[in-house]
Amino acid sequence: MSGIKTLADLKRKQEEVKTQIDLRDKAENPESQVQVKVAMATCGIASGAKNVMEFFVQELPKRGIGAVVTQTGCMGYCFAEPTVEITIPGKDPIVFGYVDAIKADEIIERYIKQGELVDGIIPQNYNTIN
Amino acid sequence: MVDLAMHMMDIVQNSIRANASKIEIDFLEESRKATLTFSVKDNGSGMTPETVAKLEDPFFTSRTTRRVGLGVPFLKMSSEQTGGSLKIESELGTGTTIEAVYKTDNPDCLPLGDLGGYLVLLLIANPGIHFSFCYRIDENEFLLDTLELAEQGITEFSNNEMASAIKEYINENLKEIFEDRPKESFLC
Repeated sequence: MSGIKTLADLKRKQEEVKTQIDLRDKAENPESQVQVKVAMATCGIASGAKNVMEFFVQELPKRGIGAVVTQTGCMGYCFAEPTVEITIPGKDPIVFGYVDAIKADEIIERYIKQGELVDGIIPQNYNTIN
Repeated sequence: MVDLAMHMMDIVQNSIRANASKIEIDFLEESRKATLTFSVKDNGSGMTPETVAKLEDPFFTSRTTRRVGLGVPFLKMSSEQTGGSLKIESELGTGTTIEAVYKTDNPDCLPLGDLGGYLVLLLIANPGIHFSFCYRIDENEFLLDTLELAEQGITEFSNNEMASAIKEYINENLKEIFEDRPKESFLC
């Protein structure tokens, strides 16, 4: 990778990348995208939520899934951190617990792509907490 | 919390919850005093003096989902165990500043950790927030400001290539200023 050290380098990179972005119509309509919320409060951070979030951020576009990855606070399931809330358009949000890179891979491949429910769902009826 | 980058993510999360639109993150190393001052300043909803007084209590939280709130107490513990201190200033409706001082000549001083990685995640997850990150060792500083980036047309944080480019940009610049750190410092 060529070294990126100055703002000018970053700007060049941005222009390079932009041409590729235009091909995909990204974030035009967030409603139609999969929403991934990674719990990033004290409990989540301490259990390794960063790796999980980085995994989703890197893998979803790679696998051709239009998604918005954001962070959220603690949902009250500190025992099951890292937790991830996934909302597929038109469906109710589902919270998965004890997520690591392997679990995240399974969630993407089976739940997001095929709609199958996988192990690790935290049952609940709740409202999203920001 | 294993490193300071985790603390940063944790404390910034509080600012995000307080609906801040601008968050300033500062790391300031002063070699003469052997201190590292880590501070987060936001323009969020702020707190009343009564709330601030309760903040260091691990059994206080504004959440309803659980009954403990450990972010600030952990920060207090990790700074005080190096001989440092924690200070919180807040005004309702104006915002909050939280400042932790670490003694870098104490071996209990936490490592910095992956500052670049956490920062990039913050930028990706919160495109609507103006982040200003500053790392300073005595006279040398590295400043990253999302408004400044936007002026240069750099806004596509969620693009993978762009995200890793920004991470590299941060890490390279930090590496350069870290060379000035005195050998006595336990910070790494």
